Amino acid sequence: MKPFCSPLLVGAALGLSLGSATAVVAETPNDQLIIGTSLAQVLSLDPQQGTEVKTQEILANTYDRLVFSDQTDGYKIKPQLAESWTVDDKGITFKLRDATFTSGNPVTAKDVVFSIVRLMKLDQSASTNYKTAGYTADNIESLVSAVDDKTFRIELTDKVIPEALLYRLAMGVSSVVDSVEVEKHVKNGDYGNEWLRTTAAGSGPYTLRRWTPNDIVLLEANKDYRGGAPAIRRIVMRHVPESQAARLMLERGDIDIANALTAADVKTFETKAGFVIDQVKTGGYYVLAMNAGREALAKPEVREAIAYGINYKGIADTILGSYGRWRNVPVPEDWAGAIPNPDWSFQPEKAKKLLADAGYPNGLSLTLKTISQTPRVDMATAIQASLAEIGITVTIQQGNGADIVAAHRARDFDLLLPQTGSFMPTALGSLDNFASNPNNAKEANNAGNFVWRSAWDIPDLNALREQANRERDDAKRLDLVRQIQEKFIALKPAVLPMFERFEPIVVSGRVKGYSGHPWSLTRVEAVSKTDAP
Amino acid sequence: MKEFTLIELGKRLGQLLLSLFVLLVVTFVIGRILPTDPVGAIVGELADPAAYEAMRARLGLDLPVYQQFWLYLTSLLHGDLGTAILTGNPVLHDLAQAFPATLELATLAVILSTLVGVPLGMTAAFFRDTWIDKFTRVVSLVGHSIPVFWFGIVGLVIFYAGLEWVGSPGRVDVYLEGLVEPRTGLLLVDSLLAGDTEVFWNAVHHIILPACILAYSAMAYITRMTRSFTLEQLNQDYVTAARAKGASTMRIVTGHLLPNIAVQLITVLAISYGGLLEGAVVTEIVFSWPGIGQYMTNALMTGDMNAILAGTLIIGLIFMLLNFLSDLAYLVFDPRTREVTA
Repeated sequence: MKPFCSPLLVGAALGLSLGSATAVVAETPNDQLIIGTSLAQVLSLDPQQGTEVKTQEILANTYDRLVFSDQTDGYKIKPQLAESWTVDDKGITFKLRDATFTSGNPVTAKDVVFSIVRLMKLDQSASTNYKTAGYTADNIESLVSAVDDKTFRIELTDKVIPEALLYRLAMGVSSVVDSVEVEKHVKNGDYGNEWLRTTAAGSGPYTLRRWTPNDIVLLEANKDYRGGAPAIRRIVMRHVPESQAARLMLERGDIDIANALTAADVKTFETKAGFVIDQVKTGGYYVLAMNAGREALAKPEVREAIAYGINYKGIADTILGSYGRWRNVPVPEDWAGAIPNPDWSFQPEKAKKLLADAGYPNGLSLTLKTISQTPRVDMATAIQASLAEIGITVTIQQGNGADIVAAHRARDFDLLLPQTGSFMPTALGSLDNFASNPNNAKEANNAGNFVWRSAWDIPDLNALREQANRERDDAKRLDLVRQIQEKFIALKPAVLPMFERFEPIVVSGRVKGYSGHPWSLTRVEAVSKTDAP
Repeated sequence: MKEFTLIELGKRLGQLLLSLFVLLVVTFVIGRILPTDPVGAIVGELADPAAYEAMRARLGLDLPVYQQFWLYLTSLLHGDLGTAILTGNPVLHDLAQAFPATLELATLAVILSTLVGVPLGMTAAFFRDTWIDKFTRVVSLVGHSIPVFWFGIVGLVIFYAGLEWVGSPGRVDVYLEGLVEPRTGLLLVDSLLAGDTEVFWNAVHHIILPACILAYSAMAYITRMTRSFTLEQLNQDYVTAARAKGASTMRIVTGHLLPNIAVQLITVLAISYGGLLEGAVVTEIVFSWPGIGQYMTNALMTGDMNAILAGTLIIGLIFMLLNFLSDLAYLVFDPRTREVTA
């Protein structure tokens, strides 16, 4: 009777015996691309509904859009389903190339009209960026048309310039769906949403073979793809929610790409041969939202004191790592029209003086709400510590995504840590969440807008931004963009940009040609794999 | 006597249903008190208020709470557990997909922990206060007190990344995904039914580490309880009598001891099994195991009430059924229970 055993040892022994029976080590095949990711937020594969980032990568490969933004060539707009287009004063006319959907139906201008109208009529958050450009469920049918089978036209509104409209047409929500197939599955006027939520009806280089929520997504090469079948026969996206597990799988060669790793795990690959870290710049920000509806935070001096009371450098170096870069201006550093960072950095004496001037010589107490996820919880703790040094006592309240977003939408917070995205890779795209608030009244209930949520009334800034959105002359527009940023800083923003937000992806050296897209619309058609070393 | 057992059975069943109803009410009330916002999760963070309100109405969340509960209860009695807000599938369909993965893992874990834990506990009792007993105590304490999360990661580092003995997180290697038709949902069983030994052995490689880790944490409880049950029996006269008659230790254990502690052990094992079936949330996340624990965690994070309620109900039901079955085991195995109730 020897008690020298535990299940671990038994398991180890069993594993050893099995290990000799079959080979455990199996490098991923060269014609399959295995992505370790988090599928927890993939809720709908309907392109006119699902906006979550991991969903976008699936849609990018199963559908085509008229145009796409090329991340490998300065985000230039390039043709996808469109062969060419002409811009006139009133609108844009597209000539479509010959293509077929996976059902065998030809892609026609009617499908494009159907998809854009469907987007507006479904009226979900996916249509937000079209709404800000002046398109609505009511006017959309009069603004898009099929001139003939291969010619599609969309009219401009007074709120959008051609460049900004082209970027919208390159978004995942503008994917062209097979209208014939979708019409067959319409139920109770749902525009086929219930059916399309779990399937794909596109013309992209891949077809959807299987989607099991929180487990796996299998994409199979579309043999009849207009450009020829892609080299990678199968894309597998596997749900690996635990970062360290994903790291080990990537090291062992069981997955080729990991795109949901923590900053610490990404860091371990910096010195490892055979892996490439692709820091995808999303154009979005980690933000400190302050509620200007609160008495103290309504004062610009208090807001500026907070801007001087955060240790940006410390957070960027020790917490964010590959996930972000310090930047207090709402246009990313290397984008056209960006101005240099202001003097804001951790300066406790200056901050204390500002607080005293504002009438708070003894400091004040505030709450800080955040989603309980890395890196945001760690950021909250760091902000709490540095604000304590300037006399602001911060109480952190954590919650799940649904709770915190609800509090943000209801203006129920003092401080809150949201993050923004940029729907197009231009200054106006990244400014969208920072400089727009047409009506600050509570009754306006413009809860989709970050500035409104902070109750920050900025009529002049808003007017400037609208002017810039209408300006078609590049030089004049960039000048307006600079003015907006300067004014934004001068107003001591209640929506304080802190860090540019990056999405680090670690890619095995075997994978060639994979380049992360800022909106996760990464296409795999030109990707290939080499043999394991 | 037979009629009486039937009455007893009916009583227990009645208790079971009542407990289920209370469970349902409590979960529902807590779910509505929590400030979660499933609507936001669906329409997206940037949705405008009109789209938001429309979705709220579509989900019936604009109705008063008592009306929502009544609607839920009536459809439940029709066998409809509702639609999971997040996946858009009927909740029952989702649970049916997730449950077999958990069942497979938990069953293997409970078998392993019983095979090791029970002999270990008995040995500790026989060699009470010797180094063997102390060693057993340390081994089981470690299993009980160190978080499963840590064991999971360390296990992966050693056995998967280092020694390469076991498969990666997930139920099977990616290139073998979807090759076996899911008949029972239990991959080990399905692959054998399909005669696909490659998938079977691959699945064994993948399940062995999480099962061992779960088994180790459950084993602590089983070992400690077995030890104390055995100690209690060892002091009984019948053991001394058996010894005096010259029975071997083996004979005492199998012939006298085991039957006497069997019923108590069954309860302990049932509770352990129930605990494992609840979905070993952390283990499932570390090992990318698409089971009920992961499903429920996601539902909780997004405030998907239909999924949470149905999941709680099913888990509660399983727990109560296991309890019920172990109670029945008492009636069957233990003559004393029969005498007392009669």
